[in-house]
Amino acid sequence: MSILLMSEYILLAALAIFAVACMRIATRKTIGMGLVGTSALSIAVAVILIIVQNIYQIGFCKDIATALVILGPVGTIAFASVLRGWK
Amino acid sequence: MDDIFTIIKSILLLLSAVLVLLAAFGILRYKDDLERVLYARIHILGVADMACILALLTLGEPLLAALYFILSPFAAHAMANGFYYGEDKQ
Repeated sequence: MSILLMSEYILLAALAIFAVACMRIATRKTIGMGLVGTSALSIAVAVILIIVQNIYQIGFCKDIATALVILGPVGTIAFASVLRGWK
Repeated sequence: MDDIFTIIKSILLLLSAVLVLLAAFGILRYKDDLERVLYARIHILGVADMACILALLTLGEPLLAALYFILSPFAAHAMANGFYYGEDKQ
């Protein structure tokens, strides 16, 4: 096993732990915490998908990761503007 | 024997993993009854954002990294702004 593959697996494990932490933050009672958690979860899942594509050569993972990277922050901004109110 | 670029890529990926783990520990560290803890959590998630950008750059996705580098400060500002004028004022 090469050192690069080992590093990718270590990063995969770290991102899995981070995703669990994000899910725990996203299930707090306030809307702001939900926004923070889902925003962090979207980028974590995107990087996990890119690593899976690098390791197993699954092509569509990159498409899903691209959609997550674009739509994650855009959705966060849209929901935050609703939370702010149109005043 | 691995070449020098593979070793540098491995070191950068391991650095990203350490930063992501630190951010995961950081967002769970504070209790919810702390006043305005959301700003602290947004601040900590900046570390995780930059670690993910570093990982994307190392994994050979510079366009995705640049896109997220541009979008993530706007998202963080929108969250803080929405919390300040929305929930915090109530």
